[in-house]
Amino acid sequence: MRCAPVRRLARVLALVAAPAAATGEVVIDPPAPGSVSRAEGLAAWDRIYEVASHPRCANCHVGASDVPMWSGPGYGRTRPHGMAVRAGDSRIGAETIPCRTCHVTSRTGGIDRPHAAPQVADAWRLAPPEAAWFGRSSDQICAQLRDPARTDGRTALQIAEHLGHDVILHWAWTPGSGREPAPYSLQEHVNDVLAWGVAGQPCAFD
Amino acid sequence: MKLTVNGTTHDVDVEEDMPLLWVLRDELNIKGVKYGCGIAQCGACTVHVDGVAVRSCQLAAADVDGEVTTIEGLGTPDSLHAVQAAWVEHQVAQCGYCQSGQIMQAASFLDLNPAPTDDQIDAAMSANLCRCGTYPRIRAAVKTAAQTLNGA
Repeated sequence: MRCAPVRRLARVLALVAAPAAATGEVVIDPPAPGSVSRAEGLAAWDRIYEVASHPRCANCHVGASDVPMWSGPGYGRTRPHGMAVRAGDSRIGAETIPCRTCHVTSRTGGIDRPHAAPQVADAWRLAPPEAAWFGRSSDQICAQLRDPARTDGRTALQIAEHLGHDVILHWAWTPGSGREPAPYSLQEHVNDVLAWGVAGQPCAFD
Repeated sequence: MKLTVNGTTHDVDVEEDMPLLWVLRDELNIKGVKYGCGIAQCGACTVHVDGVAVRSCQLAAADVDGEVTTIEGLGTPDSLHAVQAAWVEHQVAQCGYCQSGQIMQAASFLDLNPAPTDDQIDAAMSANLCRCGTYPRIRAAVKTAAQTLNGA
């Protein structure tokens, strides 16, 4: 009944390495080159920032910290995630309590109750430290998202594809009982990222 | 659907979204696992799936994708798991209601992190509530169990 520790660790980590396949609901269809003006690109960026800074996204994009946040409508005052959880260097809590102990991985739709831990068809985890959104300004995040050193080398097109594939991100628009979803829709957000990219990834401070 | 619990495979006829907790308690009559809050806020329902701690009140039966272990399958009276032995040594339990969840959490934690710091013990165990307040003894027992598992 007891499995080798290596197998157990592999089981925790494998959920990150092999997330569920995307549902195919997102269309990646960038505008034609040169067809998006700087003004339109900046307008798209403003909407992207509304999403990135929304609690459904920002609460787990906490930068160098390994403590997720509880903030936004329904959470009262802004504060660190309860229960003294630490996601650790692994970002999945492997050093202490795996996020998925409570945020269980569900491929069937699972169980959705008010105040319960949300669950998705992927390992619950923090975003990587370089993808730091929480408490940051529009200019700061804009500069980050066009800096290949902080996007794991992704272009805007690749960021859009990442949004399409990574199902934990989709949860922001279907967050379950009692939680306010991120603004717009996943497809509209992907379209904005594509338009911002075709416009040359402008930032307001340029 | 088929569920393997403590080494025995069962065929259970339940709704897909029935929490594993109730499959264990009401369908299989395995009562060591406890109901506390039903929303992953207390840890009383903690069991293992393939050795990793999970809150059984959160896990839909259809999402169980490995072998389940409850407190009944962790050790035996003649061969206690190191965490159970440490619990006895430190006389951790008071009322006892939360203890199977505490022990299952600690056992999974020490499998993943066999040489934890005090801070890591606190982080790993802080999501398991004990209304009797046995926390100092829980921490001491986890440290003793870690030493036992490391052959000290």
